[in-house]
Amino acid sequence: MAALQEKKSCRQRMEEFRHYCWNPDTGQMLGRTLSRWVWISLYYVAFYVVMTGIFALCLYVLMQTIDPYTPDYQDQLQSPGVTLRPDVYGEKGLEISYNVSDNSTWVDLTRTLRTFLAGYSPESQENSINCTSEKYFFQEGFKAPNHTKFSCKFTADMLQNCSGLVDPNFGFEEGKPCFIIKMNRIVKFLPSNSSAPRVDCAFLDQPRAGAQQLQVDYYPPNGTFSLHYFPYYGRKAQPHYSNPLVAAKLLNVPRNKEVVVVCKILADHVTFDNPHDQYEGKVEFKLRIQK
Amino acid sequence: MTRPKRPWRPRPDPAAPSRSRQRGGSPTPDPLPEPRARGFSAPRGVPGRTSGAAAGSWAGRWHLRRAPPARAAAGDRPRRCAQGPRHRHLSPADLAAAAGPDPAPPRRAHGPRSPQSRRAQDPRSPQSRRAHGPRSPPPEPTGAPRPQHAPAATHRGALRGWPVEKPVHMCGEGPQAPRPAPQRLRAPDGRLWLGWGYVDACGLRSPPVPRHREAPAPLRKSASGQCCTLLLFQKTLEIYSVELSGTKEIEKTDHGNDRERYRGLKNNCLELRKNQRKEELKKELDLDDHKLSIKELEKKYGTDIIRGLSSTRAAELLARDGPNALTPPKQTPEMIKFLKQMVGGFSILLWVGAVLCWIAFGIQYASNRSSSLDSLYLGCVLVLVVILTGIFAYYQEAKSTNIMSSFSKMIPQQALVIRDSEKKIIPAEQLVVGDIVEIKGGDQVPADIRLLSSQGCRVDNSSLTGESEPQPRSPEFTHENPLETKNIGFYSTTCLEGTATGMVINTGDRTVIGHIASLASGVGNEKTPIAIEIEHFVHIVAGVAVSIGIIFFIIAVSMKYDILDSIIFLIGIIVANVPEGLLATVTVTLSLTAKRMAKKNCLVKNLEAVETLGSTSIICSDKTGTLTQNRMTVAHLWFDNQIFVADTSEDHSNQAFDQSSGTWASLSTIIALCNRAEFKPGQESVPIMKKVVVGDASESALLKFSEVVLGDVMEIRKRNRKVAEIPFNSTNKFQLSIHETGNPDDKHFLVVMKGAPEKILERCSTIMVDGQEKPLVKSATEAFHTAYMELGGLGERVLGFCHLYLPADKFPENYSFDVDTVNFPTSNFCFVGLLSMIDPPRSTVPDAVTKCRSAGIKVIMVTGDHPITAKAIAKSVGIISAGSETVEDIANRLNVAVERVNKRDARATVVTGMELKDMSPEQLDEVLTNYSEIVFARTSPQQKLIIVEGCQRQDAVVAVTGDGVNDSPALKKADIGIAMGIAGSDAAKNAADMVLLDDNFASIVTGVEEGRLIFDNLKKTIAYTLTKNIAELCPFLIYIIAGLPLPIGTITILFIDLGTDIIPSIALAYEKAESDIMNRKPRHKKKDRLVNTPLAVYSYLHIGLMQALGAFVVYFVVYAQEGFRPSALIGLREEWEKDHVNDLEDSYGQEWTNYQRKYLQWTGYTAFFVGIMVQQIADLIIRKTRRNSIFQQGLFRNKVIWVGIASQIVIALILSCGLGSVRALSFTTLKPQYWFVAVPFAILIWVYDEVRKLLIRLYPGSWWDKNMYY
Repeated sequence: MAALQEKKSCRQRMEEFRHYCWNPDTGQMLGRTLSRWVWISLYYVAFYVVMTGIFALCLYVLMQTIDPYTPDYQDQLQSPGVTLRPDVYGEKGLEISYNVSDNSTWVDLTRTLRTFLAGYSPESQENSINCTSEKYFFQEGFKAPNHTKFSCKFTADMLQNCSGLVDPNFGFEEGKPCFIIKMNRIVKFLPSNSSAPRVDCAFLDQPRAGAQQLQVDYYPPNGTFSLHYFPYYGRKAQPHYSNPLVAAKLLNVPRNKEVVVVCKILADHVTFDNPHDQYEGKVEFKLRIQK
Repeated sequence: MTRPKRPWRPRPDPAAPSRSRQRGGSPTPDPLPEPRARGFSAPRGVPGRTSGAAAGSWAGRWHLRRAPPARAAAGDRPRRCAQGPRHRHLSPADLAAAAGPDPAPPRRAHGPRSPQSRRAQDPRSPQSRRAHGPRSPPPEPTGAPRPQHAPAATHRGALRGWPVEKPVHMCGEGPQAPRPAPQRLRAPDGRLWLGWGYVDACGLRSPPVPRHREAPAPLRKSASGQCCTLLLFQKTLEIYSVELSGTKEIEKTDHGNDRERYRGLKNNCLELRKNQRKEELKKELDLDDHKLSIKELEKKYGTDIIRGLSSTRAAELLARDGPNALTPPKQTPEMIKFLKQMVGGFSILLWVGAVLCWIAFGIQYASNRSSSLDSLYLGCVLVLVVILTGIFAYYQEAKSTNIMSSFSKMIPQQALVIRDSEKKIIPAEQLVVGDIVEIKGGDQVPADIRLLSSQGCRVDNSSLTGESEPQPRSPEFTHENPLETKNIGFYSTTCLEGTATGMVINTGDRTVIGHIASLASGVGNEKTPIAIEIEHFVHIVAGVAVSIGIIFFIIAVSMKYDILDSIIFLIGIIVANVPEGLLATVTVTLSLTAKRMAKKNCLVKNLEAVETLGSTSIICSDKTGTLTQNRMTVAHLWFDNQIFVADTSEDHSNQAFDQSSGTWASLSTIIALCNRAEFKPGQESVPIMKKVVVGDASESALLKFSEVVLGDVMEIRKRNRKVAEIPFNSTNKFQLSIHETGNPDDKHFLVVMKGAPEKILERCSTIMVDGQEKPLVKSATEAFHTAYMELGGLGERVLGFCHLYLPADKFPENYSFDVDTVNFPTSNFCFVGLLSMIDPPRSTVPDAVTKCRSAGIKVIMVTGDHPITAKAIAKSVGIISAGSETVEDIANRLNVAVERVNKRDARATVVTGMELKDMSPEQLDEVLTNYSEIVFARTSPQQKLIIVEGCQRQDAVVAVTGDGVNDSPALKKADIGIAMGIAGSDAAKNAADMVLLDDNFASIVTGVEEGRLIFDNLKKTIAYTLTKNIAELCPFLIYIIAGLPLPIGTITILFIDLGTDIIPSIALAYEKAESDIMNRKPRHKKKDRLVNTPLAVYSYLHIGLMQALGAFVVYFVVYAQEGFRPSALIGLREEWEKDHVNDLEDSYGQEWTNYQRKYLQWTGYTAFFVGIMVQQIADLIIRKTRRNSIFQQGLFRNKVIWVGIASQIVIALILSCGLGSVRALSFTTLKPQYWFVAVPFAILIWVYDEVRKLLIRLYPGSWWDKNMYY
């Protein structure tokens, strides 16, 4: 096999490159004359304009085929996620720890709650209506103003002791902290067939912990999400919709000991046993209250 | 190192001359217990060409033909070096002296005078061919420049009749020699020949003085054979050494005046010591075993010629010396090969990626113990990819290498050895020095052996020396030089006939051939054109990958992305850009083609050579055995004043000449009777032309011819019992036999004679015309000469035939003929006819040459043969096409002096080695560029190198065919060396990149076609593979810039590159040529790149872009239908990727947990993947052609493409549905309709490409064509 590549010196290469960049003999820059460059640029501009057009057309068609109120598929949203406030994440998930006697350790937590509940003030809920029925609030038409549907009010005061109105410290000061549990919205999701979905909090290692069960005060009472908040019709239909909340006031958290609390939502159509998703239908958090 | 050109410098040894004189004078007494057959006793039952391969192995060699006149000059000077013990140091001077054409006795005066030399000078010896020279005008048209060389005379003489012509073949050798024939005309028994003639440049040999009258003939050959051998060997060694130290020197060497060279040699021989290597070589050849008596040998090697070695002793020696096998050419250790695969090509990039992954992981881990292991895994996956593809490529290559090695190991060699007083058959590898081995016809000599006894043993040294003449071997010490003496048999040469017993004196690499082989193995391989192309491609892709990666790294950093994230992006970009599977695909593609070619009898040793053949622009083809059938065949007959054409096709099926004449009846009888050749028994079912014949080539040709025409020749011979015979010898230059007539009532004896036409004519007084005997008048003689000249001018070997019915009264039935006293008439015969033979071109060759020509490939014939023969064959196969003329032809036609012809008018030229020697490189370039049809005749091995280099200077990719050991440097020098599988020696096969299993030139054309096809198909494969890179890359870029959730994951990309795309890209290797690829010019190795700008631009910026858009559409559709509209996705990345956000709102106000989003992201990956896959199907289809419409090409012609498409879909389905649950792979089961979202884009791609092709076809050469045709 013969050598097909002769070595070129660096100088030669540079020279070749310079020649490539500007070839005085043919007036070529980078291998093309100016007019060639113009032509090719024009071609590419045209080509890309057409391509962009086609792409835009595709997206336009896509948008046209999509229902503005309801997503086409909710494969991933079979069961709602559950979130907790205050939400402080550690390495493995929610980890909340504070010292009863040290203000500074929990003041942030209560502030988080307060900020969160600000969205549930009567003012911000004023576009919603009061609902009293304990049944699903189905709305066929768009009877609310601006071609929308009505949303039911959920105001912070429904959380009573955990509303921050009665106890601005949400019980953190006394070691009986309030946690607010929120169920994620899913369009047209009906959590259960008859009874309202209910929050149930317990120690994760309940059976072994044995002796003492977690005692919880739920607000609203029984820790239920009233059925009239369901179904959710989506942002466009219910622009003022607010998630119903449940507050859990943990009454007997052992001090100076890390416990894992899990709050599940008990409802027919809410599952909490997805091994991959630890926030589906339940929320787990570590809690450590020091004295 | 600066290489002295002459490898050996003899040490002056004052003692030597006397010793050698003494030895020369009295040959070693024969100590053998067995009576040596001295008479004409060669067992003729031994087939001359027992093994096809062995016999063929000398085919087409580039022999050194005649010694240049320089040698003569050299001879005149005091030979300081040469006077040393020549057996010790084989100096070129020695060689020159020994072989030298030096007819001048003075030179001998300085050296020891051997009896042979005396004989050589014997004025009575009929050796001088020159005597015949003047008699017939030289028929060669090209002869003009040559006259000053003695050899020219040879040529002329040669044409005249066979005796003379032999020299032409032997020395001229060449290439055709193998078979050939001519040389075997004489009695097959070479042993008789004791004489050792000095020959002028191989041409003239001194006639050996036959010791036995019965077998006088053989010698001529031997002498010249030896001479050639020597010269050749010398040259061979030189070539190797030259090759070792670079080729520049060769040019110098060869361009330099030979005279100077040899003179210098002698004068400077003392200075040559420096080269260590040469020194070793010298030692190698420091062989004096041929001079020792058997007793001494026994002592030296501790053996016993009757009992042999003891097993224990043999085992000891075996342990000491190692097995008797050539160390295979230095191979790259497997480990290195493997590692090379691991770091070659894109692997480096992937390694970088993997290391970056690990670094990123390390940093992450250091800062946060709980960080995800993703980057660790990704790094591992990348490494795994590198290793797997590396292993795969390694395996592929090993497999193809195995094809080759299995080929060479097909027949394990055995040796019959005497050990412990018993004859045993052991593998030849286990031989040790001192073993007593027996060889017989057909065997390979299993080691270097010193002969102890022999019966009619003749060996074919052609694999060593390129000399095609069988060499007699006998126990006598006949020459100082171990290479010349007859009592040494060399490893790997073939014993053609007879039997011999010998003592092993060297084994393995210490043998002479082992030494040459080890020298040759030092020549390094250069990169093949395809390797360079692939490297170029890797550079382009790596350049793109790295530059885009770095640009976006900087962008990412300046967009305030975390450095770690930026590194991850960088890795993603690299992975997206690197076509991981491509190199493996290329390997598979090449090996598929290699397999296909192997089926067509082209065995490819070096995978990459598959393509090299396709880019070949010049083929330097050997003549014999490649272009020709490698066997003498009757081509023309002349009788009744008419030339008849015989069928020379491979099967001889159609002998259409007029057989009704009475002359023919007589002629055919002579042909059948005056012939000693016989079919080897046991071949009844073999077609006549394929039967193995015992006898030399010309006689075989005649035998087969008469067998075809007359039927059972043996039966005819039986009917016409032979009562006496004078075999051919060089003195008489005829062969005669006396037969009873077949008719029991006819008591006449018939004397039949054949021989050199002019010799035969001399002995005739009448001529037969139309079956009637007529007096030989002047007009008849003239007709004879015209015919003779005409046939001779065709480069054919002409024989004359005559007969005589002895009067029954003078020669009664019981008459006792005595061939010694010749008690019967040998003149006043009746001349019957002429018959000419040639080694005819293979029937497939003219067509193949035409194809090559239309493919823009210049076919140059480079042969050692005589210019006239070469030109005749060149004309008949079309290397010189029908309409072209050489300068000499034009001169002849116009009847003007050659000088007055305008050289530009001639398209063809025949350049002889002599002329070539005097040419400067510039002149050679001129010849190579100015003439489209070139024949180099009478070339030496070095000149072959010069020619190859000359071609390469013009940027041509040169293919060289060859078969001898001495060809191996040229084979290596060539861009692609092609060795003959049947005739080729192992050394040639080792040096070559490709082996033609059927020795057939037409196979080269097949190879060229395949090579071109593979180049085109690789282009398609690469275009196909590159296209998706943009679709894989864009997601990362968009992700970084627009903050979309990542559309496709790194792992998913790997699944495209190594999963769905692999089989389709291999399938493109099965694509048929879209146009007649044999009608276009070979690609220019520097201009026509595998990956050129249009290819990259079109793949990346056109189709790639469409693919990216199509895939993005699928992605957006999936996200939009699940709740995230495209507008919502922009800038969403940050929130999206936060593990802590478990209530991310989509466009509908729904809230998503982290895992739900992840799952959606994977669905997006899968969708993007499917989008790319679907469009890759379209891409695959459009890549079937580059210019033609798909519909012209046929959508379904390449079934494998559809297998590829099916595999793509099936793999995607498996990944999506089957493995959708394996989280780590991040595939999900996709809704069926998403599989079709990209289809419109796939159609768009197809349509766009059809439009592109249409415009290219409509407007060739246009702007569009230039920019869009890749």
